[in-house]
Amino acid sequence: MSTEETNLKKIQVQRYEPESDPDQHYLNEETGIWAWLTTVDHKKIGLMYLASVTFFFFVGGIMALLVRTELWTPAKTFIEANTYNQIFTLHGAIMVFLFLVPSVPAALGNFFLPLQLGAKDVAFPRLNLLSYYLYVAGALIAIVSIVNGGIDTGWTFYTPYSSTTGGAVTTMVFGVFVIGFSSILTGVNFITTIHKMRAPGLSWDKLSLFSWSLYATSIIQILATPVLAITLALVGLERLLGIGIFDPALGGDPVLFQHFFWFYSHPAVYIMIVPGFGIVSEVITTFSKKHIFGYWAIALSSLAIAFIGFLVWGHHMFVSGQASLASMVFSFLTFLVGIPTGIKMFNWTATLYKGSIKLASPLLYIFGFFFLFLVGGLTGIVLGSIALNVHLHDTYYVVAHFHFVMVGGMVMAFLAGVHYWWPKMTGRLYNETLAKIACGIIFVGFNVTFLPQFVMGSLGMPRRYFNYIEQFQVYHQISTIGSYILGIGFVMIFYYLVKSIYTGEKASPNPWGSRALEWQVNSLPPLHNFHHTPVIINGPYDYHKPMDEFQLGLAESGNGHGTEVDVSSTEEKPQAE
Amino acid sequence: MANHSTSSHSRYLQHHFVDAEQQFDAAKMGMWVFLVTEILFFGGLFAAYIVYRLWYPELFVMASEELNTLWGGVNTVVLIGSSLTVAMAIKSAQLNQKRNIAINLGITLALAAIFMVIKYFEWTHKFHLGIFPGEFYAYEGIDHPKANVFFSLYYLMTGLHGLHVIIGIGLMIWLLVRSVKGHFDSEYYTPVEITGLYWHLVDIIWIFLFPLFYLID
Amino acid sequence: MSGHHISTDKTLLGVAGGLLVLTVLTVVVHYLHLPDPWSIIVAMGIATFKAMLVALFFMNLYWDKRFNLMLFGTSIVFLALLVGLTLLDTLFRVDVLPSF
Repeated sequence: MSTEETNLKKIQVQRYEPESDPDQHYLNEETGIWAWLTTVDHKKIGLMYLASVTFFFFVGGIMALLVRTELWTPAKTFIEANTYNQIFTLHGAIMVFLFLVPSVPAALGNFFLPLQLGAKDVAFPRLNLLSYYLYVAGALIAIVSIVNGGIDTGWTFYTPYSSTTGGAVTTMVFGVFVIGFSSILTGVNFITTIHKMRAPGLSWDKLSLFSWSLYATSIIQILATPVLAITLALVGLERLLGIGIFDPALGGDPVLFQHFFWFYSHPAVYIMIVPGFGIVSEVITTFSKKHIFGYWAIALSSLAIAFIGFLVWGHHMFVSGQASLASMVFSFLTFLVGIPTGIKMFNWTATLYKGSIKLASPLLYIFGFFFLFLVGGLTGIVLGSIALNVHLHDTYYVVAHFHFVMVGGMVMAFLAGVHYWWPKMTGRLYNETLAKIACGIIFVGFNVTFLPQFVMGSLGMPRRYFNYIEQFQVYHQISTIGSYILGIGFVMIFYYLVKSIYTGEKASPNPWGSRALEWQVNSLPPLHNFHHTPVIINGPYDYHKPMDEFQLGLAESGNGHGTEVDVSSTEEKPQAE
Repeated sequence: MANHSTSSHSRYLQHHFVDAEQQFDAAKMGMWVFLVTEILFFGGLFAAYIVYRLWYPELFVMASEELNTLWGGVNTVVLIGSSLTVAMAIKSAQLNQKRNIAINLGITLALAAIFMVIKYFEWTHKFHLGIFPGEFYAYEGIDHPKANVFFSLYYLMTGLHGLHVIIGIGLMIWLLVRSVKGHFDSEYYTPVEITGLYWHLVDIIWIFLFPLFYLID
Repeated sequence: MSGHHISTDKTLLGVAGGLLVLTVLTVVVHYLHLPDPWSIIVAMGIATFKAMLVALFFMNLYWDKRFNLMLFGTSIVFLALLVGLTLLDTLFRVDVLPSF
């Protein structure tokens, strides 16, 4: 064990200014397709995730446009009712399991968590690669199920319909099972990374709020996802072996399926949105050049949301036949979610107050997030009250509500994150004017799509229906037009971002002047992130301190390769425990 | 922990860790986090068990009669023994007794195999009687309309547990090969340690399954 | 790796012996046929005690970093939430199960 002497040893710290356009970076230190496919570099894995989730976002988006187009007229417009059922199921399943859940944690989180921690990689790099391949395998299995009969159960796979209907439900639930495994391993990896891989000086009160939000997300992933896995395994076994846990014809209880399913899927909503909250905190501080207001309130409210998220699942089941006692308790607990979420919203607005705000496109997306997420959140409170819920259950009001949260909240935050970190990931700047226009188009298109859905939902238009009565046609048509505007916005973003890779201006290491650690490395970052082990003395939001206090590295330390002996600096390192 | 990075075992130190201590702690914490997911994975089945047992207590008393308490008990003892030998293997590694690591892992492997053999005979005996899970249930000895549900739970929970034992057997073989090759000693025994944690959890789950299925009255 | 707890043979054998005794005990109690709520309570009590022995001494939680113990506890708490809130429904339904 270490002696007192080594504990008190002084460490040599130097300032290392990041280079722009370095000769060696993570994209050219290893090249070739094989190096990409077998890489254990968290940044490359993050980029592969980013490409994959983008692909599935567009696939799911096309499904959404098909659904909206079909709903142009009250009866059949251009596709059959059965096909329609399969398409909306795929839209939901793809968006939830292949886009929303992995989007921020697995893509942006993978790339930036180790950078923000001052680590060379995540704790288990090979496990990280395995997670990615499990995700791909799960996605492929899901695609097989589409070709091999399709599924029409909705993304929720409710029994007994899912255990008795035709189609490829077994294949699909197996695919989701595998994706769930990928999600679990990412969670395991991130929790360990945050605990064990922080750089010297990076104590818990200097942890970035994005890292805090990933920590909360990972906790949900490891606690909730296994229950989904076993539940889907039971559905699969019910179809294959007639195990009768859920199917009433075999003596089971279908409502039990809903309990188990929502024990995962309600917290999963927070898997989707909480990392988005982290991005909001990062972007707001950077573009208002101000310390975050209520650091601990925001950090801990993420954990509070993670915890409360496990107590409220029954609010999806008010009309399922569950006991009214359970409904009352779940309804009451649901309102509690509003508290930590409200705390976050107030702290963010307080951060902006008297900041020197620069209205760049990432911040613009965050403003979009504020308005849309606020509507989504408040209508969630509305839906949490039992009596009203019975009326609005399974109507377009619910559809509009969760799209305001998932698209208006999560996708806006995701886009903010992509724009914010794009220069670091690609070393290029995108066209700022186009970015602002696209943001406006998305904001308008989104509202045109989903505001009418609140109206027709409260008038009684049920979700998932192929036919509807004529009085709803005008709302459906407005909504369909909106969805096309929305689609144009997304294609536009894709266009100028991809274009910037080829023709964009080269980015400086820190184009936004941020104090966060990931901006203190080269653009593009080196393969092992830091040439010198970073030493942290200030928090990531300490804008009142000079820049040269943020670019410190341990003298004589290396990137972990070669023969240099790791200095006994580790004694200085604040460990988790 | 002053001189870890210069010790002869830095060959096992991955580049992104500062020293062997950090690597060991990270691996162990990662395994614990994974065990949390395992507990909740089994937890879904335990929850279903509790729900059905509270609905149909008389069914569980009747159906439990079909299970052989003796063999369930023997299997409990077998697994406890294997947990002991895994713990002994880790201790041997810590004390640098390389040969004892392999011996203890070998005994663990043998006990795990015995567990699975007994399990195999228990299951086939029931299949012989027509006690199948779910809709294939064809046994008439239990006068309860939901008897199939009890056995669905029985097969699911012991089956999932058995699957974990089989995975454990695979891991033990891997560890045995590596320990015979002399990979483990007091400086590096992380795989033995974390596989041991997994194995103990499998034991703990059986400790609960035994009274929940075999000892109902 | 110095600094890690090394269990003695005495501890390990003692714990294993304790587990065996408890296994015999729980079987014996089963054949005593205690009155209704008590048989399950005693059986689960013994099982929990055995699980604690394994977790604390075989899995080293007694000497390990407190965080690992906390992780273990967290999983139990959330399992309890899953079971507890589900029972809030299944125990209080008007019709337990619609019959088919």
